[in-house]
Amino acid sequence: MEINLETKIGKLKLKNPVLVASGTFGYAKEFEPLMDLKRLGGIVTKTLTVKPRLGNPPPRIVETPSGLLNAIGLQNVGVDAFVKEKLPYLKKLKVPIIASVMGYSAEEFVRCVDTLEKAGGIDGFELNLSCPNVPYGSKSRFGSSFAKASEDASAHAVRMFAHDERLIEEVVSAARKWTAKTLIAKLGPDVSDIGKMAQAAEAAGADAVSLINTFIAMVIDVKSRRPVLANKTGGLSGPCIRPIAVAMTWEAAKNVKIPVIGIGGIMNARDALEFLIAGASAIQVGTANFINPSASTEIVRGIGDFMKKEKIKNLKEIIGSLKDS
Amino acid sequence: MVREKCVVLENKKVAPGHFVLTCASRAISKNARPGQFAQILCEESTDPLLPRPFSFLTAAQNHFSVLYHVVGKGTGSLAQKKKGDFLWVLGPLGNGFTLGRETFDEGRRTKDEGRGTAQTVSSIVHRSSSIVLVGGGVGIPPLYHLAQLLVKKMKPENIHVFLGARDKSLLLCEKEFKKLGAELHLATDDGSKGKKGFVTGILEEFIQGRQKTVVSSQEKQKAYPSTVYRLLSTKIYACGPTPMLKAISLVSQKYEVPCEVSVEVPMACGFGACIGCAIKVRSQKTEDRRQKLQKNLSSDVCHLSSEHRYAIACTEGPVFQAKDILWK
Repeated sequence: MEINLETKIGKLKLKNPVLVASGTFGYAKEFEPLMDLKRLGGIVTKTLTVKPRLGNPPPRIVETPSGLLNAIGLQNVGVDAFVKEKLPYLKKLKVPIIASVMGYSAEEFVRCVDTLEKAGGIDGFELNLSCPNVPYGSKSRFGSSFAKASEDASAHAVRMFAHDERLIEEVVSAARKWTAKTLIAKLGPDVSDIGKMAQAAEAAGADAVSLINTFIAMVIDVKSRRPVLANKTGGLSGPCIRPIAVAMTWEAAKNVKIPVIGIGGIMNARDALEFLIAGASAIQVGTANFINPSASTEIVRGIGDFMKKEKIKNLKEIIGSLKDS
Repeated sequence: MVREKCVVLENKKVAPGHFVLTCASRAISKNARPGQFAQILCEESTDPLLPRPFSFLTAAQNHFSVLYHVVGKGTGSLAQKKKGDFLWVLGPLGNGFTLGRETFDEGRRTKDEGRGTAQTVSSIVHRSSSIVLVGGGVGIPPLYHLAQLLVKKMKPENIHVFLGARDKSLLLCEKEFKKLGAELHLATDDGSKGKKGFVTGILEEFIQGRQKTVVSSQEKQKAYPSTVYRLLSTKIYACGPTPMLKAISLVSQKYEVPCEVSVEVPMACGFGACIGCAIKVRSQKTEDRRQKLQKNLSSDVCHLSSEHRYAIACTEGPVFQAKDILWK
């Protein structure tokens, strides 16, 4: 039986719905000896910023029950070094490359997108609106967006773009003007209404939303009474967040017409299918890459096997097929 | 670097709470160098979730072993494994100890630096040059791996092994080092064997003693500068808890002895993907770094203006030159 795993995210046609999540796959070369990169639906790069970033001091990671708490702090080479040193390799892979970009203001996001557009070889952009591990909100250090939002939202300081509909719209619409390629807004889970956040991204011109990023979380050493991570809090990922991520994917998919990319603790094909059934047009594999470097390609095969067994010819028959009435 | 499902050949208790696990894998063991490590998935479950990193204790043609301490869920379930069970192993990973020219090619190096006296210096150095291995707790296994290689290249009595532990039952690999013929120097917290106190104390006494010898022999032969002689005469390799490594690093800098340390830091992936295992190091010159970046993908770092940066222990290390690390 011929199986069709193709899916579409904006203008981007993927041969299968399995992508690897930003920050869990380096710049792909690390995985070359351990798997066949060509079998991936697409690769989302480690988040890039205008300038190189040193990252947070250690300890940066701690394991939690069925989860991983990290506070890397967006350590990256910067967008210029990426173009020079990493992009040539990625271009050769012939796999859709989605560049994850982040800035402290809409202008910084735009500068990253602009640099990468000029360099060529990028198939889409994921705007990282939801990193929980970098400091925002200080007027002196960061651009206008945060200063404004912090003043408005006086009671609860906004910790990231994804926490505020206006900030999501501001960044997405700014980036939209600079690229015609697939534009994805990556949303965070620590919000009251994920549906509204997804709608904000859609209204501003995003081609898709990806969710969820990690949860802000903390582990405390009870003896020293100090947080285990130097950054105090980190972002929680792994199988422990999966059921929440499935619910949020379902919620977001009900509220927007653009595709949703499901992310959160996907370890195997069964997990991936939950997201697809809940309404995700594609999924991203994150923490599993650290445990089994070839988890993503095994998931591609596993989805195919499931479809054969269930006599499903086209992935479209699975996407959003949840029987919830 | 390969990932294989390896069969367990043996999983034996060697000290209270400590086990030696031996697994079959030609691909992993034949390329494993002292100081490198393997990531072992202790349980195919979500809790414990991540694989655990272990330095090699031995690596033969077709099998390797690691020595581990049961400290939590991961090592706890590893201790339950029996002969014939299978484990996912990724390795060998990281960069091991370097065996530089100053260690084994003294003659040639001295020739480069001071022609005429090469022969004399070489023979003196040969007589007195030594390697110092300093280990504490589960930092000891990679040093035993290194010692196995060293005895093939130099006289075992010139290998000085300093072991520190809480009590005598935890002086890991003591017998094995003795079998190799190495000189043992022991310290225990409770004084149940060797000197009472920290291993760094007896290390400093030893280095001090050696330097006195160097100075006196130098007075007799003023043909070469002391710095060269010192550099050639001793090198320290250390692995153990961070406070111990910091103390050893200070000793090595005080007496100008080259020193390599293998660090232990929390780690997730083990191959440079998560960049979680950061360690603060001195920032190299911009040019050096650029070259390294071109050669090695893992040095993904930077702020070129900064005086420090975060090196990634799994791919740049776990072995570092002690002088490069900025200890807390």
